[in-house]
Amino acid sequence: MESSQRRTRYVLKRLFQAIPIVFAIVVLNFFLLQLAEGDAVDVLAGEAGAATPEYMAELREKFGLDKPLVVQLGVYLKNVVMLDLGYSFRHDMPVSELIFDRFFPTLLLMTSTILLAVGFGIVLGLVAASGLNTWRDTVISIFALITYATPLFWVGLMLIVVFSLNLGWFPTSGMENFAMFYEGWDRVLDIAHHLVLPTITLSLFYLALYTRLMRASMLEQAGQDYVTTARAKGVTERRIVFVHVLRNALLPVVTMAGVQVGALIGGSVIVESVFAWPGLGMLAFEALFARDLNLLLGIFLLSAILVVAVNLIVDIIYSTLDPRIEMA
Amino acid sequence: MNFKTLLMGATCAVGLALSPLSALAQNAGGNLVYLVQPEPPSLASFLSTSGPIGLVAPKIYDGLFEYDNDLQIVPSLAESYEVSDDGKTITFTLREGVQWHDGAPFTSADVQFTVMEVLKQVHPRGPNSFREVTSIDTPDDYTAVFNLANPAPYMLRALSSYESPMVPKHLLEGTDLRASDLATNPVGTGPFTFVEWRKGQYVRLDRNENYWKPGEPLLERVVGRFIPDASTRTAALENGEVMYGAYGAIPNIDAVRLREQDGFSVTTDGYSMINPMALIEFNTTKPPFDNPAMRRAVSLVMDRQFLIDNIWFGYGKPATSALSSSFDKVGLYKAGLPNYPANGDLEAAIKQLDDAGILPDANGVRANVTLDLIPYGEDWRRAGEYMKQAMKPLGIEVELRYEDVPTWLNRIYAEYDFEMNVNFFYQLPDPVLGVHRHYGTDQIRQGTHFVNASRYSNPELDALLAAGAQEPDPIKRGEIYGEIQTILANDMPVANLFEMEFLTVYNDKLVNHATSALGAYGSFSEASITE
Repeated sequence: MESSQRRTRYVLKRLFQAIPIVFAIVVLNFFLLQLAEGDAVDVLAGEAGAATPEYMAELREKFGLDKPLVVQLGVYLKNVVMLDLGYSFRHDMPVSELIFDRFFPTLLLMTSTILLAVGFGIVLGLVAASGLNTWRDTVISIFALITYATPLFWVGLMLIVVFSLNLGWFPTSGMENFAMFYEGWDRVLDIAHHLVLPTITLSLFYLALYTRLMRASMLEQAGQDYVTTARAKGVTERRIVFVHVLRNALLPVVTMAGVQVGALIGGSVIVESVFAWPGLGMLAFEALFARDLNLLLGIFLLSAILVVAVNLIVDIIYSTLDPRIEMA
Repeated sequence: MNFKTLLMGATCAVGLALSPLSALAQNAGGNLVYLVQPEPPSLASFLSTSGPIGLVAPKIYDGLFEYDNDLQIVPSLAESYEVSDDGKTITFTLREGVQWHDGAPFTSADVQFTVMEVLKQVHPRGPNSFREVTSIDTPDDYTAVFNLANPAPYMLRALSSYESPMVPKHLLEGTDLRASDLATNPVGTGPFTFVEWRKGQYVRLDRNENYWKPGEPLLERVVGRFIPDASTRTAALENGEVMYGAYGAIPNIDAVRLREQDGFSVTTDGYSMINPMALIEFNTTKPPFDNPAMRRAVSLVMDRQFLIDNIWFGYGKPATSALSSSFDKVGLYKAGLPNYPANGDLEAAIKQLDDAGILPDANGVRANVTLDLIPYGEDWRRAGEYMKQAMKPLGIEVELRYEDVPTWLNRIYAEYDFEMNVNFFYQLPDPVLGVHRHYGTDQIRQGTHFVNASRYSNPELDALLAAGAQEPDPIKRGEIYGEIQTILANDMPVANLFEMEFLTVYNDKLVNHATSALGAYGSFSEASITE
């Protein structure tokens, strides 16, 4: 009872602490984005080929870009407090709608990547560490080194060349088949079919990271006193590895995974671009070049909240993995 | 078990289970998936002439006319037209029985509203195209009479679905045009009706069952896909997932490779309405390019053929005048002008500078300049690198500057903070529409993009431009433009480099897609897929 109450209090406290952090992130982002030259009106008018100065002034007035910066910030903060992320003038849509539309594909890609990368990373790291300096270790280490060192866009393109163009197993890009527009289960299968190559591409990089981290972590733990003690007690090697060492060795991996969930939102720009995956990373990338600041701020806000939330979840997992870590 | 074999096994299993799906992809008769690059900001072609909008909107909207590959007028919403003897009244007879996609009838009131209230007011080029139109009379539902202040021969070339789409009065009247729902949910009279636009993925259009052209469109569905990465676009085309890519969607380097492959073709047809011209704009208001000799020297030293052969893979034609040679068809182009050598002429360039008294210092340097490059892709950077080298022997030391689009636009067209700028302009089917904006004194409009950023001002030329716009007689008009080109070849406020040839790469199963001068900015109404 005691501990669950403490846990609830802890979570609430952390959530409360997150408010000023998110607020500071919004303000900081706002001013950071003002440093970029030109504004949304320049881009819109430029794409149009020509536009009169009156028209551009009119647009600036409509977008609220003619007001002083502080006023613009005030308006934005007020709207955010009221859960209104503003309007994207470029897309002619509310920002929340745009982000929501892209959030599902991002989440899909992110989740499948994290699961694949962390899952296989842990297994490979474990196999490598338990067979230290054997051929298994060497093969896995070389594999990790190569995948870590290979640029993502190149891996993506090579997978397309091999599996799409030569073998014809997977589509090159997109999330669905746009000639057919499947419905129901056919659509689920279709999306899964399109998900395979981007997931493999994106997870290869992280897979290498987790494999190396897991291996190092396992080796470090294996030299600890408690392992010697356990061995002296006569515990089987199998039990030492899976019950004692593995649990402790997972801590750094979980930490890393937590940190990277935030990075994955933006870090998948390359993969999203190569596979035309309609995620948030691409949206942010395009928004930057279009100077669509409302949209960018909205995406930044979402990732800030996500990072804060994931950190909290990681801390909770910590205390489950290692009861000595207290939540206070 | 080795991880790699495990992974391979897993992908094999999934691949085998799902491979029939990809085989099905293009079987349903007549679903065309084509590349739209980049994703358009909106579909309001009555507000913006942005390229990607042109790739989608003309499938949904019709114009009064279309134009065939020789730029001849083809009737569309207007069945016929008649110009009065003084050139100041044009009467259009409209097609009867045409319906908007929502079922309302299309009438002359729509034409009047579109031109007077929409295109003349909010379209980027409309105020110029229709500047002589003072009013439009609608004596009955199917007759629209344009009353002009002066003859405007060029106007008849600006009536395509891309340039001047006819929009529904009943949906737009009394609304804020710039905030209209039509921007994301267009309603036209065209061969395809708008179904859905998923941002970041595709825009889907389905066949308009009530289209006025009997038997058309042939395609059941047209889907524009957005794929940001150029290599993936090529792969998707090779894999048959998309069948058509225009306006550089497939880079030239891949296009020349696909050209050799079975099942794919490359064409330069379908761009004669656009007339793109690569060029250098000079800032004529400050040193060193306030001196025409410097501008002529740069034009003289450029090896235009080298640029075309080595950077654009042979697609293009060296510029020989301020006007594209494609204006020869309408008698406006003048050949044989000086200062546009196709292969560059270093000696003549050096002589220009020596004669003007612009002499090298002890290090052989005559001027230090910054060259801005249009931020529309790698080709332009390569071109900039070539130009830097080409100008060195002339004693002009060049520094290259490559910025992102908003920064660059702001620098060139609002701040005028540049010396020379590489760019390209659409010359469009008439000089009044696409070329005047580059040279007229009235086109020095700070903050407006793609107009006279050189700030070249010459009263003699202004008078000729005004005369050229109004001259109805083709022979006299040709003479006026001849004089204009002679002046510009000498003053050279802009050095035209080469007439660009955009490439359309397509799957051979797709036929009849380039039947109009508008190409990819056309309707796809006659296109079909053969198995």
